[in-house]
Amino acid sequence: MAGKTIVVTSGKGGVGKTTTVANIGTALAKKGHNVVLIDADIGLRNLDVVMGLENRIVYNLVDIVEGKCKSAQAMIRDRKLSNLHVIPSAQTREKDAVNPAQMKSLCAELTEQFDFVFIDCPAGIERGFKNAIAAADVAIVVTTPEVSAIRDADRVIGLLEANLVKETHLIVNRVNQKMVKKGDMMSVGDIVTLLSVSLLGIIPESEDVVVSTNRGVPLVHDRSSRPGIAYTKVAARLEGEEIPLDEDNGVKLMDRVKRFFMG
Amino acid sequence: MLSAIRRFFKDKNSSEVARERMQFVLMHDRVDLTPDIMEGLKNDILAVFARYMEIDQSSIQVNLEQGKGYTALVSNVHIKKVFRKK
Ligand SMILES: Nc1ncnc2c1ncn2[C@@H]1O[C@H](COP(=O)(O)OP(=O)(O)O)[C@@H](O)[C@H]1O
Ligand SMILES: [Mg+2]
Repeated sequence: MAGKTIVVTSGKGGVGKTTTVANIGTALAKKGHNVVLIDADIGLRNLDVVMGLENRIVYNLVDIVEGKCKSAQAMIRDRKLSNLHVIPSAQTREKDAVNPAQMKSLCAELTEQFDFVFIDCPAGIERGFKNAIAAADVAIVVTTPEVSAIRDADRVIGLLEANLVKETHLIVNRVNQKMVKKGDMMSVGDIVTLLSVSLLGIIPESEDVVVSTNRGVPLVHDRSSRPGIAYTKVAARLEGEEIPLDEDNGVKLMDRVKRFFMG
Repeated sequence: MLSAIRRFFKDKNSSEVARERMQFVLMHDRVDLTPDIMEGLKNDILAVFARYMEIDQSSIQVNLEQGKGYTALVSNVHIKKVFRKK
């Protein structure tokens, strides 16, 4: 059985892509799936530190595509979960060190052994983005409730459609319910209506995220963490479980709405 | 009462303002009407109208407007004279 390749992207930087990849990947591995996470942010390596694996790196993504090592040699095994692996990005290379065809062949090879291949996409919509989405069956677009992030998300959703990525889902990260109630933050319902895309999860704004990255231990290992719980639900939804979306938000949501204007 | 009205029209909370601004911005981003396309569109519309009536060429406006559940392309042209049927 061939696994799925899922790219996590956003357009805007700093909205939570790496956090999302680390946590969904870990949550799925905890459920017993074989998971590999690829850091495709070449030149700005991050996923390894968020996962707490920075001192185990030998080879990287560019080494694999250049044939300097086998993909298995570049994979770092997670400290807690033996069925979870990370392929780190190259810290001192340029984005054009990899091309879309190479990403496709790597992911084709990986989906033979793994149930889920996650790709952590760099910010922007240029070369690095094109590499990251080339092999994806599914895209998860991450946004925050801020206008600039939403606008960039909309652009990225359009580009994913144009590049024939079959399935696109949305995660709204850093939602602050207090601000939403006061009328000072757009609700998730508003954002889903604006972007006309299916909603996969709502992640609350939380200090836990910083603590988790400080330690290099993903949030989903902590059963009492609110963002951790939210990410565990996202993972369950990716497995096909139906978990109501409004329970963590109190907002009625349309699960799937047509894009309100086809450009 | 006045303050209530003022609040209703002006001091919308910031999330409402953001939502309305995003509706507008995303619509324009998606349609991507470049100045070139806009100019071509205006000229074509003018040419069609001119076959039926005399119009004020300088009066033409073309705008995108957001309704509930639809996006409309709205054009306004001032008529000078309608040709008499022959
Ligand atoms: N839900 C959240 N609550 C609080 N801080 C968050 C949350 N999600 C992400 N962050 C913080 O935002 C920053 C950017 O997150 P990251 O996952 O690295 O984004 P990206 O990969 O999109 O650049 C990090 O410092 C992270 O700790
Ligand atoms: Mg990142």
